[in-house]
Amino acid sequence: MAEAIGADEILVRIPSRLEILDVVDKVASAIAEHMEFPEEEANSVANSVIEAGTNAIQHGHFLDAGLPVDFLFQIGADALRVRVSDQGPGFDVEAVLRSDPTAPDSLLASRGRGIFIMKSLMDEVSFEILPQRGCTVVLTKRLKRGS
Amino acid sequence: MKTTKRMEKDVAVISLSGKLMGGPDAESVRQIVRETLEEGARKIVIDISGVSWVNSTGLGILIAGHVTAANAGARLKLTGVSARIRQIFMVTKLHTVFDTCESVEEALESFSS
Repeated sequence: MAEAIGADEILVRIPSRLEILDVVDKVASAIAEHMEFPEEEANSVANSVIEAGTNAIQHGHFLDAGLPVDFLFQIGADALRVRVSDQGPGFDVEAVLRSDPTAPDSLLASRGRGIFIMKSLMDEVSFEILPQRGCTVVLTKRLKRGS
Repeated sequence: MKTTKRMEKDVAVISLSGKLMGGPDAESVRQIVRETLEEGARKIVIDISGVSWVNSTGLGILIAGHVTAANAGARLKLTGVSARIRQIFMVTKLHTVFDTCESVEEALESFSS
C-alpha cells in the first residue's frame, strides 16, 4: 500500500561528480534528523541515497559531469520518499535483483552491491525505467513511532 | 580522501580520511597498500576512523586491499569503523571478511599477542 506523502518537497540537482554526493549526504542526513528518524534509520537513509546517487553517476551517466542527477526528497507525515533520477539507459532490474553479493563466491567481488544495500536498508525500493528518457530509483523509509 | 602512513614498530598504520567512494580514491589506496607490501610490511592496519561514509565502490576498494594483503601473506586489520559504515558491513556480510578492531591501539596489541 502506498502511503500518502505530504507536499513538502526538497529538490537537489547535482552534476554527475562523485565528490558532490557529500552535499547530498548532508541534505539526506539533515532531513532524516528533521523527521526524527532514529540514528540507525537515518544512517540507512543516507547510505541508500548515496548508493542510488553512485549508481546514477557511474552506471547511468558514466561519470559525464554535464548530466544532472536529481534527488527529490518527499517528506510525509509517516514516511520519507526519495526519488533519484538520471538520464541513463537504465538496466536489467530482474537480473540485478537475482544476484546475491553475500553468496560465498561473490563476497570478495569488487562491485555489485549498490541495489542490494538499498533493498536491505530501506522499507521499499522500486525502479522506474523509461527507455531513452532515464531511470528513477524510488526509496521509501517509514517512520515507526512508538511501539 | 586523504591517506597517511606511519610505522609502529613492524606494523604499518595507514589512515584514511574523508569519503571513500571510488574514482581517484581507488588508486591511492591500492598504491599505498602495494608500496607498504613492497617495503616488506606484513602487518597492516587501515584506520578508517576519519572516513565519514563509504559507498559500494569504496567497499570494493577495501576488499581489494584485503585481497592484495592476503595474497602477499600479510595480515590486515581495519580500525575505527563507525556505526554507519558497520551497518553496510553487516548487510553485505563483509564483517565476516574484514578483521576489525575498535582502535589502532587494540589492533597493535592484537598483532603483538
